Amino acid sequence: MREDSRELSVQTCLESLGISLFSEWDVLAFLYHHKVSLTTTDQIARLIGYESAAVSDALDRLERERLIERSRPLQGVRLYRMLTQTDARRQRCLRQLVSLSENRAGRLLLAKRLQPVRSESGERKIG
Amino acid sequence: MSEDGLVKTGIKGLDAILLGGIPKTNVILLQGVTGTGKTLMGVEFIYRGIVQFNEPGLIVVFETNPDKLIRDAAGFGWNLEELQEQKKLQVIFTSPQVFDQEIRSPNSLLLETASEMGAQRMFVDGIGLLNPGPGGGNAPRGGYRESLQQLIESFNRENLTAILSLETGSTPDAFTTKETTDYLVDTVIQLGRDRVGRRTQRSIEILKSRGQDFDPGEHTLQITGGKGLDVFRRVQAPLRTSSKQPTSSTMRSVIGVDAVDTLIGGGIFDGSTTMVVGVSGVGKTVLGTQLLREGSLRQKTRGLLISLDEHPAQIIRNAQTLGLNLEEQVADGTIQIMFESPQELNIDAHYARIIELIEEHDIQRMVIDGMTSYSTAIGAIDVYRDFFHAVVAYSKQRLMTTFFNYENPEFLGISSYMPDFPLSSIVDNLILLSLVEINNSLHRCISVVKSRGSKHSFDTREFVIGQGGISLVPLEHNPVPALPLQSYSSLLSRAPTRFSLPKRANGAPAVQD
Repeated sequence: MREDSRELSVQTCLESLGISLFSEWDVLAFLYHHKVSLTTTDQIARLIGYESAAVSDALDRLERERLIERSRPLQGVRLYRMLTQTDARRQRCLRQLVSLSENRAGRLLLAKRLQPVRSESGERKIG
Repeated sequence: MSEDGLVKTGIKGLDAILLGGIPKTNVILLQGVTGTGKTLMGVEFIYRGIVQFNEPGLIVVFETNPDKLIRDAAGFGWNLEELQEQKKLQVIFTSPQVFDQEIRSPNSLLLETASEMGAQRMFVDGIGLLNPGPGGGNAPRGGYRESLQQLIESFNRENLTAILSLETGSTPDAFTTKETTDYLVDTVIQLGRDRVGRRTQRSIEILKSRGQDFDPGEHTLQITGGKGLDVFRRVQAPLRTSSKQPTSSTMRSVIGVDAVDTLIGGGIFDGSTTMVVGVSGVGKTVLGTQLLREGSLRQKTRGLLISLDEHPAQIIRNAQTLGLNLEEQVADGTIQIMFESPQELNIDAHYARIIELIEEHDIQRMVIDGMTSYSTAIGAIDVYRDFFHAVVAYSKQRLMTTFFNYENPEFLGISSYMPDFPLSSIVDNLILLSLVEINNSLHRCISVVKSRGSKHSFDTREFVIGQGGISLVPLEHNPVPALPLQSYSSLLSRAPTRFSLPKRANGAPAVQD
C-alpha cells in the first residue's frame, strides 16, 4: 500500500515534469547535477551511456517542457542550463525525484515507471 | 580592482606577498602536485572577488563534478549556489575537447556568457588536460601551445583576470606542458606539499609575475576548514618599509621593576631588545610578568606575553600566587597572553599571528617566554635564527620594547649565554639571572652584563621573589667589604676565591694597613 502511494507520487511527479522515458530522466539528472554545461549531444551521450539520438530527443523534450534551456549551437557545442522552476509544485517534484534517484531502489522505481530506451543493438538500458 | 591597477585576490596573506595584488588581466598559473590546494585557491579567488570586490566570475571544470565543488566550497562557508542564483557566478562543466574547440571560436559561447554576466575573473581547473600528449589525440604538433595562446588572447580581449590550474606530475608530457604554460602565462604560482618529519606542510611560491614586484621565496600555505586559505609570509623575508629604522635617542622607558631599573641605569631605550638568561626556576617568567604588569599599570603601555609552555590560565594563576594580578589587565585587553602549542609549530604562521596581535592591540612591550621552547619546536638552527632576527627587526621598527627569556641549561655558573643557539650578540641588553650557592642554600642573583648605550652597573645583586614579584636584597645586608682584584684567585676560571688574609703579629688583618 505504501509502495503504491509512493509510486503514485512518483508517477504524478513524472507527469508534472512531462517525463516519460528513462533517457529523458537521465539527461535531466545529468544537467541537474552539472547545472551549466558547455558540451555536445555526443559528449552527454558518452558520459551517460546512451545513443546520441536518444539524448538529442531527450534534450528536445526537456527544452519543450521548460526544464532546461540551450544556447545557440556553435559547431555542435551548446551551453545547457537547468531552468529554475517557477511553479512550486514542479520544483518540489524535481527535487523529490532527484533525491529518489540517488539510491538504487529509487532508480529501480523510476525505471519501473518510465518507458525503457532501446539502443540500436536492442539492449535495454537503464543508465 | 584597486586604484593601483591591481586585482586583489582576497585570499588572506596572498595579496601581501604579491605587494597588493595581481596586475589586471594577468593570466595566472597555479601549479602543483595533487592535493596542494590548487582548486581551492582558484575557487576562493572567484568567491572573494564576488563577495569582497563585487567582481563576478566564472569557474570552468573538466573533471570535478560541479555539485561536489559546490558542496566542498560550502565546507568553507562559501555559498556558491546563492551566488549562481544571483547571476554573479557560473560554474560551467565541460570537456577539454569542447573547451579547446570553443576558445578557438571567434564567437565563443563561454566568453559570451562571461560578457553577459560582467565577469571580471575566471578560473579554469585542470588546464593540462588541453594537452592531448603523445598519442593522446589528433591535435597537431604545437596544438597545446596554440590553444593556450588563444585562451590567453581571449582573456585579454574580455578584460578577464584568470587563474589556470595545472597538475604537475611525472607523466612523459608533464614537463613539456609545464614548460610551455610557464612561459606563456604572466604569473606562475607554485603550490607545494612536503613532509616535515611525520607531518605535512604546504607551501606557496611566486615564481614570476609580469608587471610587478613580489616577495620571493617559499611561504607557508594553510587550509583551515570553515575559513579557507591562509598565506603566511616566510619569516626570513626582510621587512618591506620605505622609512628608515627609527631609533630612540633620549627616550628611556622605566621598566618598573626595581631590580632591572637600578642595575640598568634608570631604564632602557624604547625599541631595545633584552635577553634574560637563566636556569629554570630562577625567576625569568616572574620578571617578564612583572614588567608587563608594571608597564600596563604605571607606564600605560600595552603588553604581550607569548608562551609555548604555559596556558594563559596557568600563567595568570602562577602570577596570582605572587600577588601579581593579571586578570584585570587581561580582561581589559591591556595585556594579551598568546599561547601556542610547540607541537607541529609552523613558524611562519606563528610569527604572522604575533604580528597580527601586536598591530591589533598596539602592543608596546612584549615578552617571549621562552626561546628554548622555540629551539626545540623549530629544530633547524637557521629557521630559529631567522625567527629571532625577524622579531628583533620588527620590534625595532615599531620601537617596541621586547624581552626574550632564555633557559640556560647550566645550573651553577655558565660558560656561554646561549650554548645551543648563540644569538646573544643580536640583542641590546643582556641580563643574567643566576643561582649561587652560599653555604648550603641557593640564592638568586641578577647581573646586567650588557646594555648598549647605557651606563649600567656591573654589580651582581641578590634578589628575592615574594609578594609583588622580584625585589633586590638591600646592599646593607651584604656587609663584606669589596677587595681589590689582586685579593682573588681563579678569576678567569669563573670561580674567584678570596685569599685568606695574612694576620699580623697583633692578630689584625694585613689588608687594614
